[in-house]
Amino acid sequence: MKALLISLLFIGLVASFLWPSADRGTVESEAVFRMNLTAEPPTLDWALATDNVSIRVIENLMEGLTAYDAALRPQPAIAARWTVSGDGRIYTFHLRPDVYWSDGKQVTAHDFEYAWKRLLNPATASEYAYFLYDVENAAAYNTGRIKDADLVGVKALHDLTLRVDLKKQAVYFPSVTTFTATFPQRKDLIERYGDRWTEPAHLVTLGAFRLEEWRHEYRLTLVANEHYYGDRPALDRVIFYVVSEETTALTLYETGYLDRVTLPPIAIPRYKTHPDYVRAPFLRGYYYGFNLDKAPFDKVKVRQAFSMAIDREEIPKILKGGEIPATSWIPQGMFAHNPEIGLAFNPEKARRFLAEAGYKNGAGLPPITLAFNTDPTNRMIAEHIQAQWKKNLGVTVLLDNMEWKVYLQQLREDTPQVFRLGWGADYPDPDNFMNLFTSTSGNNNTHWGNAEYDRFISDAASEGDPSKRLALYDAAQRILTETDVPIMPLFFAAQNLLISPEIEGLEVNAMDLIHLKKVKRKPSNKVQS
Amino acid sequence: MIQPLFWPRFRQDRLAVASLLLIAALLLIAIFGDVIAPYAHDLQNTDNNLAAPNAQHWMGTDALGRDLFSRLIYGTRISMAVSLLTGVSALLLGTCYGAVSGYAGGRIDNAMMRGVDVLYAIPDLLLIILITVLIGRGVSGVFLALSLVGWITVARLIRGEVLRLKENAYVEAARAFGVKDVRILLKHILPNTFGVLIVTLTFRIPSAILAESTLSFIGLGLTPPAASWGTLANEGWKALKFYPHLIFFPGLAIFMTMLAFNFLGDGLRDALDPKQNKVS
Amino acid sequence: MLLFILRRLLWAVPVLWAVATLTFVMMHLVPGGPFDREKKLPPEIKANIEAKYHLDKPFAVQYGLYLKGLLKGDLGPSYKYLGRTVNDVIADTLPVSIQLGALALFIALVLGLLAGMASGAFAQTAWDKTSMFFATAGISIPNFVLGAFLILVFSHQFKLFPPALWEDARSVVLPAFALGLAPAAYIARLTRSSILEEKHRDYVRTARAKGLPETTILFRHVLKNAITPVITVLGPLAATLVTGSFVIEFIFSVPGMGKFFITAVTNRDYPLIMGVTLVYALLVVLANLLVDLFYTVIDPRIQLE
Repeated sequence: MKALLISLLFIGLVASFLWPSADRGTVESEAVFRMNLTAEPPTLDWALATDNVSIRVIENLMEGLTAYDAALRPQPAIAARWTVSGDGRIYTFHLRPDVYWSDGKQVTAHDFEYAWKRLLNPATASEYAYFLYDVENAAAYNTGRIKDADLVGVKALHDLTLRVDLKKQAVYFPSVTTFTATFPQRKDLIERYGDRWTEPAHLVTLGAFRLEEWRHEYRLTLVANEHYYGDRPALDRVIFYVVSEETTALTLYETGYLDRVTLPPIAIPRYKTHPDYVRAPFLRGYYYGFNLDKAPFDKVKVRQAFSMAIDREEIPKILKGGEIPATSWIPQGMFAHNPEIGLAFNPEKARRFLAEAGYKNGAGLPPITLAFNTDPTNRMIAEHIQAQWKKNLGVTVLLDNMEWKVYLQQLREDTPQVFRLGWGADYPDPDNFMNLFTSTSGNNNTHWGNAEYDRFISDAASEGDPSKRLALYDAAQRILTETDVPIMPLFFAAQNLLISPEIEGLEVNAMDLIHLKKVKRKPSNKVQS
Repeated sequence: MIQPLFWPRFRQDRLAVASLLLIAALLLIAIFGDVIAPYAHDLQNTDNNLAAPNAQHWMGTDALGRDLFSRLIYGTRISMAVSLLTGVSALLLGTCYGAVSGYAGGRIDNAMMRGVDVLYAIPDLLLIILITVLIGRGVSGVFLALSLVGWITVARLIRGEVLRLKENAYVEAARAFGVKDVRILLKHILPNTFGVLIVTLTFRIPSAILAESTLSFIGLGLTPPAASWGTLANEGWKALKFYPHLIFFPGLAIFMTMLAFNFLGDGLRDALDPKQNKVS
Repeated sequence: MLLFILRRLLWAVPVLWAVATLTFVMMHLVPGGPFDREKKLPPEIKANIEAKYHLDKPFAVQYGLYLKGLLKGDLGPSYKYLGRTVNDVIADTLPVSIQLGALALFIALVLGLLAGMASGAFAQTAWDKTSMFFATAGISIPNFVLGAFLILVFSHQFKLFPPALWEDARSVVLPAFALGLAPAAYIARLTRSSILEEKHRDYVRTARAKGLPETTILFRHVLKNAITPVITVLGPLAATLVTGSFVIEFIFSVPGMGKFFITAVTNRDYPLIMGVTLVYALLVVLANLLVDLFYTVIDPRIQLE
């Protein structure tokens, strides 16, 4: 009995010890913006960050040589201007003289040179090192073929001039310098603090905000950066809470703890008429791929039949998130998007094609498996498509779901007959989507290759005339989704958000980037504690 | 061995009897699900999805417009099969291990129990996740993972029983007469653990149902079209505020079944051996 | 006594080694690697990363390197949280889990013991039947259902507690109850049956024959002995609660360690998988040691070997 009392007392003590501190880190009069991140940011080192959670935070802390405007075109940022040599191989960036780090030091071209060489250093093991592979000797240095970093084609000519030598002409290079991986870094700080340089006590940045607090797995607090070279942001403080469960995030929004939240699919119908509701397109495509090495999908008629047997108009009815049904692959909101392309829903024709391929009403087909990674949305779509194939083609397809990493390995080593994948834009150009299915693409799991398609894509990448470029992409899309059909696109995703009416100026863009520099909170607000 | 007074005693426990009837009914539903269910479990109607309970669909429909009542009935089969199978296999594995360890005694016992200690020190959930990811693919992975975790408790329990029974006079006598060890174990010791085994089984089954629903929550549950109650409840809990019927009915099914098995276990235990009142 | 503790602590070393080895082998058997991505990495980039974490070395070498680090108390770098060590990650999250777990354990013990004692003392009364019904119900609800239900009632309907987050004392209440109710129900059932068992013992009959009042018998003798099985389960229970719960942390956005038992596996963050497993194993071993020590406090007749 005594022992029990002792243990109770002990447990009580432990429980009261380290009680969460009551500080909310906010002052009544401050303009605060609060939103959730879907996971703990894996890193705030922009040379290493590749996931959208980390990048979402970094983009509010840092800026690069160039930045996208609202139409997603690169514009001057830290670089006031740049010049290009006649052969297009040498870029000279002239930096603004008035840019300072949050500790008061001036930003120089040396910070860029250091950052780029660090990004490319094999010891850094950065996943995005290849973003700079257009730079002379960058790939050789990154892969260890040359050891001397000074051979890499980036050089601070003096404090405010950065010279970049490319290995060949790349007209899109000013877009590359908008990426977080190319942002400048401080040699002195990284060498002094090692891996811990991204902790709030050490992190020095140059964007509109600086990092004040990072409670791992829980909360990041950003405050306005008084050394920022642009206009001071209207917000005093930004709080990112790590909330992975979307239903929990929604509850937090409703109870006044968050100012912006992504709606879980199941909640969308109930919020459609809500005044805070915002829907926007999202440059993310969802498709089923066929493995052309496996019967029966070695036959193009079978692939066409399977694609035509699906009524994509049903998908938004199921997912209810304003998804855009897709028969072609370049998403809405991007250049060369063309909803006319692709195989329309036509069950009679689908059945006829299947018969012509030698499988009348599915007779003689080998067992077919549709694979996807475990996820409620994937599951719902797979079950729906399975039912449609059964109904419209008379074909029974088995479903197989796998845990994400197991699935990725399966795709790589033994691609299933039909598989699900998605693609989100890295940059808002059709090249990013269409390049995926060239025969040299590491992400083309279909085992399909078409020389004509490859040529169209490579020609389009360097084509300056928009109408010619459009024609090239139209032709390529026809090969991809009408004649060869290695994939059947299903839909383009949409963003469904709730944004507090107290928040002004929060742009919702199709790349799901969040820039809080211009966001305002109406003064009459009250932050609930 | 079942005591002669078992049935009269058990009959007095009305909760346990009701539980037994409920479980019997569930088994019937599991077996004759196709006949009972008003709709096919995978019949979709996207124009009538997320409907609240009504005359056509007693429990409403899900996001694909499938009849929830029918899905629940089909789910009974899967949930019952998975939990019964894992219960039985954990029991078999645990009994063999525990019996050998307890009967052998001495160094072998010590070594075998240290092995159990090690497995015991690995978090259950991690073990389950690793196994399901490793084996993957639907029912077999979930089933194997849950059995592999469940047997440890059983092994400890049975070992204790065997240690106790080993000291009985009739075992000593049998040994003195030169009866083989295997025969002693099978004929004289294990039958006496029958009561404990039955009770353990009735408690293993609900924990398997619970563990399976947790797996579904994590997203490592069964492969469609197999929709266990756990899968259904997991599809529903997010909709708690918007479409409560999606969580209410599967949740109720899990809850009632767990309750029935637990009460049945209590009743069996009391009836088999009123003094032996341990919760397992 | 000291010798006993020392010997048990030494014994922990081979147990932990076996746990480490088993986990190490199993997690490497699981298909998929830490740097598999939806957007495939160029092979040369992947080679740099694998070289950095020694993943290009043979399995045995990796195992050796890991054990070498472990001896120095170094759990290695996290593959997911770049620039942070597993020691950092655990140091950030374990205190939160300990706090939440301790509170849940407290709730479980107080509720469970009170209900169990009352039930055991007044067996077969209406009180006993209702409280046991609720106790059985308590172990029959999946905790994600319970969590969602608590949020709906106490946060949405009555606005008594925040629905999630880890801001102040109020935010601890719902997750602690969601975590503690099932163990409370379990302890209640255990206590009750243990009391009933004790009541049949000879010493109780003797005491009764001597004419001691029922309450004295109950409090002086029965409860004291009936508590032993509760203490026994307390060890592993504490270890489980204190290392956090994936489901509870997920639903209530609690920054604890429990989520890593799942996410470290889904991310294939090998050092983190090892780290949380070893912390758990260490706690189990320590908790069992504490339980054994408690026995000697309760009952001096128990000799420590």
